[in-house]
Amino acid sequence: MKPAPTDGSDACQEPHLTECIAVSLRYVLAGLVLVLVGVFCSTVEAKLLIDVEHPSVEPMKIVVPDFTCGPGGQVSGRELADILRNDLFLTGLFHVMETPPSAVDPTRGEPDFQTLSQTGAQALILGSVTFRGDEMTLEGRVYDVALRKMELGKRFSGKARDHRAMVHKFGDRILEALTGTPGCFSTRIAFVSATQEREIYVMDFDGHNLHRVTQTGSINLSPEWSPDGRSILFTSYQTGKPDLWFVDLPSRRQGIVSGRAGINASAKYSPDGQQIALSMNDQGIPKVFLITTEGNIIKRLTSGRGNDISPTWSPDRSTIAYVSDQAGTPQIYMIPVNGGQAKRLTFETNYSTDPDWSPRGDLLAFTARIEGRFQICTIRTDGTGFKVLTEKGSNQAPAWSPDGRMIAFSSRRDGTHRIYVMDVRGTVQAPVSPIPGKAPAWSSTSQ
Amino acid sequence: MTRLYGSGLFRFPSFCCIALLFMVVVGLAVLTSGCSRPIVRPQPLYPGGPGAYQPGPVAEHGLQAMQAGLNAIYFDYDKFTLSPEAQAAVQANAQVLKRVPHARIVAEGHCDERGTDEYNLALGERRARSVVTYLAELGIPMAQMSTVSYGSELPVDPGHNEAAWAKNRRVYLKVVQ
Repeated sequence: MKPAPTDGSDACQEPHLTECIAVSLRYVLAGLVLVLVGVFCSTVEAKLLIDVEHPSVEPMKIVVPDFTCGPGGQVSGRELADILRNDLFLTGLFHVMETPPSAVDPTRGEPDFQTLSQTGAQALILGSVTFRGDEMTLEGRVYDVALRKMELGKRFSGKARDHRAMVHKFGDRILEALTGTPGCFSTRIAFVSATQEREIYVMDFDGHNLHRVTQTGSINLSPEWSPDGRSILFTSYQTGKPDLWFVDLPSRRQGIVSGRAGINASAKYSPDGQQIALSMNDQGIPKVFLITTEGNIIKRLTSGRGNDISPTWSPDRSTIAYVSDQAGTPQIYMIPVNGGQAKRLTFETNYSTDPDWSPRGDLLAFTARIEGRFQICTIRTDGTGFKVLTEKGSNQAPAWSPDGRMIAFSSRRDGTHRIYVMDVRGTVQAPVSPIPGKAPAWSSTSQ
Repeated sequence: MTRLYGSGLFRFPSFCCIALLFMVVVGLAVLTSGCSRPIVRPQPLYPGGPGAYQPGPVAEHGLQAMQAGLNAIYFDYDKFTLSPEAQAAVQANAQVLKRVPHARIVAEGHCDERGTDEYNLALGERRARSVVTYLAELGIPMAQMSTVSYGSELPVDPGHNEAAWAKNRRVYLKVVQ
């Protein structure tokens, strides 16, 4: 049934995951939230708000025991729980505790809340799995330890070989229950290999299910997902110069979108997928242009003597941020899409590049040179709140996760370029790409 | 009247003689210097002599010979303007390029690793453009030239020190068919 085994793109269609809500959370006040935030709140809308506006939020202490597995499976309960533990850890929102020996009463299968609350655990997450042929069913539950109550119960079923996708789906729902916003564990990251070749690869956000998308033998750069997740734009030297190409993931069909003289680089889809912003030459100087998805020029957006590159759209499509060196050093500017003056945003360092507008619209992530090395930073769109998130090695090319809680970037901190992910506060930073890579792009769709 | 022309060098007959002599000397000088200039009588780059461009192995040999005569043009860190040394290098390259008037020329712009990838792509493009613009001023037709930026993707020296970086901030001129 699966069309192409090497194609990670539509693995998402395959499991036909069915979810059923065992307990509606609609009116269950997230007691965990209250404990965490430490405030008393009487409205049912109260949710754990986890973003940079609440820098004092402590990670939630959770226990995730190995899943219980019925007979006939190829994968162990420990492996399945590890997938979920890693997902939750990478968000920086959770402290995954050691599982106490008596966390779950083996005879009744019920949590031992007494023991759990003594360890300080706030939430308990259980998974039990049954296999039938090549089918697998995962039943996941989330308990509020303090209230001794089930917060979430969901059932997922699909092909056993897609067990990772199933656990990621469970994780997405856990985050939704605990924060109000689903997780991004079912999304993917595209990147450029940084080995002897420069080919486009795609992997799950946690680095698994790596697939090579291109095999051109030429240099390929700056991948960008289409909003529907079906295709990827990239700059490729297949004709001997940097043209903008697309590759359709299900069919692997490729074609040139823009092959004009000079560079056709750093392309970004508008959030509605109708336009592409990119850098092309205008009388020999790289400028930001808007083109249609067929490659026809809509207009030149920026002007002046600077080199303009790396556009990024605001989520409401009204503004584009980009890099220009018109003032002598590369800095980030913002310009209204429908005409108007460009406004300089960054003044903190003498080298600011790679802007990526957060999906929530309030922040830009970018690369700044600090003491001779590149670091990932964030800044509010009004130019305040400059924060440096990385400090080890040299880091560049930040890319937001679609839920705005994490940032992928490339780092050379261990000597070779690798794709890392971190939470928006930079507290957890972990390498995920199984091969050397750079220029990550985070898909906005789930598999 | 004799008083007007009657004394010194400006006496009419001797002025004529001197002017004639001067013209002969200048004429000889122009002729001799003209003979030594390659534009007047170009060195054949390949057997068969100059003329319309002939594709094929013979032409390829000529291109290779010319390619070998072209030198990299180097840039200061984070700069795309031509330093005096870079200008001299472009001038020397222009002299070589003029020997095959119909060759197509690609200027390849490169950067060192101390920049971020996408900005380096723009910077490499601009370096290549600086070279092409100056070559056009020196008489190479713009229509025969194009630019390709590789950013920092193709370092010539993989080292992580100033010597390596200096070698990597460069524009190569490539002659193509």
